[in-house]
Amino acid sequence: MTDTWKPDTTAIVGIGATDFSRESGRSALTLAAEATLAALADAGLEPSHVDGIVRCDMDEVPPVALGDAIGVANLEYWGDVGPGGSAPCAMIIQAMAAITAGLATTVVAFRSINGRSGQRYGAGYARDVRVGGRSAFEDYFLPFGMQTPGQYFATVAQRHMIEYGTDEQTLGRIALACRRHANANPAAQMHGRTMTMDDYELSRMLTTPLRLFDFCLETDGACAVVVTSIERARDLRQTPALIHSAAQAGGHDAQPGQMFPALLREDITTWSSTDVATILYRRGGVRPADVDVAQIYDCFTITTLIQIEDYGFCAKGEAKDFIGDGTLQVGGALPINTSGGHLSEGYVHGMNHVVESVRQVRGTSTNQVADAELSLVTSAPTTGGSALLLVAG
Amino acid sequence: MKNENRVLPVTTDPDTAPFWAAAREERLVIKYCEECDRPIHLPRAYCPVCRRRSDVWRDASGSGRVYSWTIVEHQVHPGYPTPYTSVLVELADHRSVRLLGSLPGRVPLVGGEPVQVWFEHLENVTIPQWRLVEAGGA
Ligand SMILES: [Zn+2]
Repeated sequence: MTDTWKPDTTAIVGIGATDFSRESGRSALTLAAEATLAALADAGLEPSHVDGIVRCDMDEVPPVALGDAIGVANLEYWGDVGPGGSAPCAMIIQAMAAITAGLATTVVAFRSINGRSGQRYGAGYARDVRVGGRSAFEDYFLPFGMQTPGQYFATVAQRHMIEYGTDEQTLGRIALACRRHANANPAAQMHGRTMTMDDYELSRMLTTPLRLFDFCLETDGACAVVVTSIERARDLRQTPALIHSAAQAGGHDAQPGQMFPALLREDITTWSSTDVATILYRRGGVRPADVDVAQIYDCFTITTLIQIEDYGFCAKGEAKDFIGDGTLQVGGALPINTSGGHLSEGYVHGMNHVVESVRQVRGTSTNQVADAELSLVTSAPTTGGSALLLVAG
Repeated sequence: MKNENRVLPVTTDPDTAPFWAAAREERLVIKYCEECDRPIHLPRAYCPVCRRRSDVWRDASGSGRVYSWTIVEHQVHPGYPTPYTSVLVELADHRSVRLLGSLPGRVPLVGGEPVQVWFEHLENVTIPQWRLVEAGGA
């Protein structure tokens, strides 16, 4: 398939985030407004400049409500791009699409979540209710005790171990890299809390083979970014992070629903990320070896491990050979999740990864990769995925 | 067994009702495309290969193999006391078809291990479950 992708025609020009906490004490709407105002201030823009807003469809805050909350008078475009984790890069893609189609000039993409003090994804889905219908097929999973994302990803991890002999230490190295980076990021929830492989291996087993430190941090917080055309970006305050390549893919054999039915795909250890990667690298005219730094969606360690393979940094099943001590840390072959990621910075459903990816091309990360030119950010499972390649403008 | 606190399936959904109706009769059924002779699992109206609309359900043998699993140690639901072992089973006669099961306790499983279906009757619904096939047994 060919397309008419034109690299570097749009850019992320502003980034904003709230604090990440276990109890924000603010509504999702307040968090969204706070992150958006911070992103606009970062760009040197006013709410009056915003004419488009994009969100993921699991967010509590409707685009029009956010626009109203911060005084956007001329909202002319808004969109929802699908469920949580697969959405953040896709939100940027939709903003970009609206801009290049002439539907908007300045689009905010945001994610706001009280994921710890509010509804906790780790708490399971149902209490004394009947499940099924609604075309989600939950009746084939929840009655059997397969009820949380952790249990789902643990089953995927176990299969990866069966097929490829993957070991827990490899998962541990992913957790350690994220923690190391969080230790240097004052905004991270795990700032200052060091972790050793012994700490990892002694942490509580929650659902085999995943331990406490294989899980992300349920978090209250919000992140927002501002997208505009390259022409407008040149006039703004920050060095623009150009959108060099962008891709979404659902993959074949997708199965219905948002998560559990993906356990019935022909291959549960290779994801739609492989399809995203193929499109992304083709549009960008680059190879995995060209990537200098990556923010890889990490709701669990196994999520990142599978994507390291799917995005071609090593062959399928070879993560345990590729990921050695330090491989994923700044200075290693593939520095990932340099803000600490979901595992150690906070879980803003992949949007904090977009923000950190922009910092890397600006050169302002607290774990800056020297000479970072090509920055990958991924939004992942399980229904589909999306990703961006950013470069400094 | 009482239903108290268990998560139970809706049995009236047009796409899945035949699965749950058959389970009440202790039959495990899978939807098929009549044209392609291949399973449509999870059951949906149209065959993704030939687009034929199908309403054909066939009995499965009830034999399966362990595809993957997780031993749940952290309890999140009052109806599912830990530890329990959530097992993902591929059907022996249709390896592309997988179903979940729940085994009490920490069960030391091996990939590919044979399992057999059994039917757990709750008050108003029957759940197809799986048990290990004992060495030398059935
Ligand atoms: Zn067919």
